Amino acid sequence: MIALPGGRRRWRFHVCALMLLVPIGFAPGYFQRLDLEGGAVGLGEREIGVLRLGRWKARLAELDLGPPVIEGAAGPIKTFTLALEGAAIDEVRAAYAKIGEPRSIRSAGALFAGAPYRQMAGVAAPETATGDSELWLTFEGWDGSIEQTSLPLADASPSTVAWLAGRRRR
Amino acid sequence: MAHAPSSRRLWFVAHSWLGLPIWGFLFFVCLTGSIATISQEIMWLVDPATRANPPSADARPLGYDEVMARIAEQRPGARLHEMTQPVKPEFALIVEAATPDGETRTFFVNPYDGTIQGEQGWFDFRAFIRALHGWLLTPFDGGYAIGWYAVSALSIPLMGSLVTGIVVHKKFWRLYLRPRLRLSKGRRVFWGDLHRLVAVWSIPFIAIMSTTALWFLIEAILYANAVTVAPVRPPLVIAREAAPNVARSEAPPEPSIDAAIAAIRAKHPDFAPGYIEAPESAYGHVTVYGRGAYPLIFEEAKVNPYSNEVAQSRMVSDRTALELVTESMRPLHVGDFAGLWLKLVYFLFGVLLTGLVFSGMMIWAKRTAGATRALVRDIRVAGPFPEPAE
Repeated sequence: MIALPGGRRRWRFHVCALMLLVPIGFAPGYFQRLDLEGGAVGLGEREIGVLRLGRWKARLAELDLGPPVIEGAAGPIKTFTLALEGAAIDEVRAAYAKIGEPRSIRSAGALFAGAPYRQMAGVAAPETATGDSELWLTFEGWDGSIEQTSLPLADASPSTVAWLAGRRRR
Repeated sequence: MAHAPSSRRLWFVAHSWLGLPIWGFLFFVCLTGSIATISQEIMWLVDPATRANPPSADARPLGYDEVMARIAEQRPGARLHEMTQPVKPEFALIVEAATPDGETRTFFVNPYDGTIQGEQGWFDFRAFIRALHGWLLTPFDGGYAIGWYAVSALSIPLMGSLVTGIVVHKKFWRLYLRPRLRLSKGRRVFWGDLHRLVAVWSIPFIAIMSTTALWFLIEAILYANAVTVAPVRPPLVIAREAAPNVARSEAPPEPSIDAAIAAIRAKHPDFAPGYIEAPESAYGHVTVYGRGAYPLIFEEAKVNPYSNEVAQSRMVSDRTALELVTESMRPLHVGDFAGLWLKLVYFLFGVLLTGLVFSGMMIWAKRTAGATRALVRDIRVAGPFPEPAE
């Protein structure tokens, strides 16, 4: 007896139709990502809090709770979202974020992109970063004025601190 | 001694087996792909908000800046992300904008009077059916989605079916002259005739689909290995000094889309804008994508919103032959570059291809199993070594 196609075992070749269940399994994640990217669930998965830079006010969040993602040559990148509030919406020309203190406005870090209500920046996690590092925010006004603030990375992104600790051990 | 199986029979069995083990998956991808081709048209039929009806016979489309001004009246504070000008004039402008609550919304806007006719709800049929067809809704996390590989790998059995099918039916062109579809000789004959008849008419379409899909697979593999076809340019940013300083009491400058397009047209008169991206930041450009004389390729130009000068452009003439080929793959696959008639042609052949997969499965169920048994039996008889008894 040749155990090839046909006969009683033919049904096995229709098992591939179960592939159709794959998209059903992935559908909830697909819609969750759309909601997250479109801002339907808020600024991000984890709101960090309200920042005050001089006369300006903004809210900061982690887009997702995960650790930095390796993005090709850019290395590990952690995405933060920012919402300018009140007067800052029209007055702030550009916002930047960086792990570690910037030496000048030219090295202020990743530029936030998007509308003032919700902008995103992929912040690089440099080799020198540790759990004690700080996240520095730099705002630059349309009038040329500059304001800065910083917060502990542990407050800004616990998952990044945990990821850095893992990298140190290796 | 029995005859060794002829090469034609081998090709035939190869053809029969290419699609079968995955027929359900292939069927699903062909079906969703066919629907995806006309997803925009389906939305046009279902949702009147996506149509562009002129308010009067002599109405003319507004300029883009005026459209944005009308949107600002209806949705105060909305900031443009991107705007799509559909190829077909029957379709409303698709405007994606951020609203003060922090959400990104998609508006369908009448191009003649700037009315927001409707808003994309929670469910975006067009994006969903594309994601379902193209990557089975699997996530893109720092690379191509796993589903992308699974779907594009189907190009291999599809191309194999095409090649083996042609080899088996070397005189396939006869079917163009004398089509044959026998209805009264039983179901096996009917499905076989239908399969061959549809197949010969679909040869160019299957060749296009399998070649372009194979490229999508190669593209993903190249990306995963950090190989690029086109030279990667550093992102273009406006120098800090070039952005104007504005006193606190004054409103920041607003980019003009019309001025940007005028600047591009001054250099490239046949440029037709299709897709416009607002600057992502105060140091970003207005980016306009459009089609020129060669409809398959999207040309691209970046305009400085403060000086309204073209800072960078990537036209058909700027591309290498290799880039022209690789960048033509997607429009060739989806058929969105010529208008409604081509979409309908793509949909028709998509449905035919879906039917080919189904009829192939039906033929297999009725014949291939037996044919393979016979082939294996012949090989066994012809084999030089006696086989141990089972």
